[in-house]
Amino acid sequence: MRPIFALAALVLFGSTAAAQHQHGKPGSTPQAFTATPAFGPDGTLWVVRPNVDRIVVQRSSDLGKTFAAPVTVTPEPMNLDWGPDARARIAVDRKGQLVVTFGTFQDKNFNGRAFFARSSDGTTFTKPRPLTSDTTSQRFEVAGVDPDGRVFAAWLDKRNVAKARTAGKAYAGAALAYAWENGDADFGNTAIALDNTCECCRLGVAFAGAGRPAVVFRNIFPGSVRDHGVITFRDPTTPGPVRRVSVDDWKIEACPHHGPSLAIAPDGSYHVAWFTDGTARKGLFHARADSADAPYSQPRPLSAASRQPSRPYLLASGPALHLVWKEFDGDKVAVRWQASHDSGRQWSAARTVAETSDASDHPLLVADRQRVYLSWLTRNEGYRLIPLGDQP
Amino acid sequence: MRLSLFLALLLGLAAVGTANADPLPFERGSWARLNTAHAGQPTVIHFWGLTCAPCLVEMPHWAALRKARPDMRLVLIAADPVPQDPERLDAALARFGLDATESWAFTDRFYERLRYEIDPAWAGELPRTVMIDRDGKATVLPGVADLAQVRQWLDAQSKSQ
Repeated sequence: MRPIFALAALVLFGSTAAAQHQHGKPGSTPQAFTATPAFGPDGTLWVVRPNVDRIVVQRSSDLGKTFAAPVTVTPEPMNLDWGPDARARIAVDRKGQLVVTFGTFQDKNFNGRAFFARSSDGTTFTKPRPLTSDTTSQRFEVAGVDPDGRVFAAWLDKRNVAKARTAGKAYAGAALAYAWENGDADFGNTAIALDNTCECCRLGVAFAGAGRPAVVFRNIFPGSVRDHGVITFRDPTTPGPVRRVSVDDWKIEACPHHGPSLAIAPDGSYHVAWFTDGTARKGLFHARADSADAPYSQPRPLSAASRQPSRPYLLASGPALHLVWKEFDGDKVAVRWQASHDSGRQWSAARTVAETSDASDHPLLVADRQRVYLSWLTRNEGYRLIPLGDQP
Repeated sequence: MRLSLFLALLLGLAAVGTANADPLPFERGSWARLNTAHAGQPTVIHFWGLTCAPCLVEMPHWAALRKARPDMRLVLIAADPVPQDPERLDAALARFGLDATESWAFTDRFYERLRYEIDPAWAGELPRTVMIDRDGKATVLPGVADLAQVRQWLDAQSKSQ
């Protein structure tokens, strides 16, 4: 570019021209920006984070004020899933054993491979191994420890898409797949709980009892309506029917990249928070059901759609329910917090518990015994663990 | 920045050809600049993404429409929530035959702000099409666009000229 034009361009467009020069770096691979916590039975905070092409785990014994040196879970560099609703996760069982799950991309078409690694104490991890032997595609993996201490994993799987294609048939979306741990070292057979779910949103998992996981997911209802459903297992290998959370009527052939959250309170009540842009309603909502089989309440709006409410997260801690989400006021992203002490019927007024002025991960909730914390990674402030009280 | 593009924007000219160039970085303030550059001219702005499978299925239809309707001022904005490699975006556009179309790409990971500038109520789902008429009135087509609707809109614009 000739100097005189360069000068004029800078005057006219400011940072645009400057950024144009910087951003042309070839092969700049997007990177995941997440941090996911779990507390061990002794109060140790574990945080798993992707670091460019590795997964690392850090421990803190002072509630996130200081962290020990990171332990690398992945000995070799991997092409980690950086999707906006993907996340490396960590679960801790009652004995303090850790399970880390994370996804990689196998190719440039976003076919994924879901991995897990285990550790007895967080100092070393087993070599990561795939959650399932099928190589088609798995994404949005999540693991949870049931009340008996057994690890359950669920993910979105595309094996049946490939089968349908081979048979010359259409197949919308992906399948909700699951497996249980088989001893301490491995996961057992994969089974499909449901076909034709939406393919690009995180899952939420909670337990209705031992061997009875419940999974919330964005489903594809007839007519390509991408509303939410919950499946509760009757026993470890028998997924129950899909219970629709709400008829939002979001008919879209698109990628919302925006998954739901589920909590089950000690009284057995179900709580779901989700995002929709349906014809019936738009924005962020919460609804409750008395039980797995009871109908869901009328959706309760959490914010105004114009504030970009997003990324809800629910947690049941003792008899209390906590709910956080992000919203944007045109300047700052705020994490808003509400609590309920009557099984999710009435909620405290929402309060801002943290803010940031640049990019941020989804806000998450984590509990150590009955103390609840907001866990939030932001570009400006780094990782924060913020104690929440009983209510805002 | 390409000289031709610079001149076109500077002079407010119609055709903003950036053949074989990376998409322009779409950052804070880009939306206002883009609107100013096209003010008074009916413009179809299509948001797509490399990470959006339905978008990639839809793009060849936009390429065909662009060929069939040379009167359409089309602007493409790659709005992947996680910014993508501009070279890969450009390669995809070339594959679709849309690399000569004015093209932008989100470069700022603080996408809440970018989306807020475009439409505070847009939660980021893709694809999305915004048709802006001569008076600045916007018609939003969320999801995969019904191109018959786009054609009708283009017809209405040329009639009202």
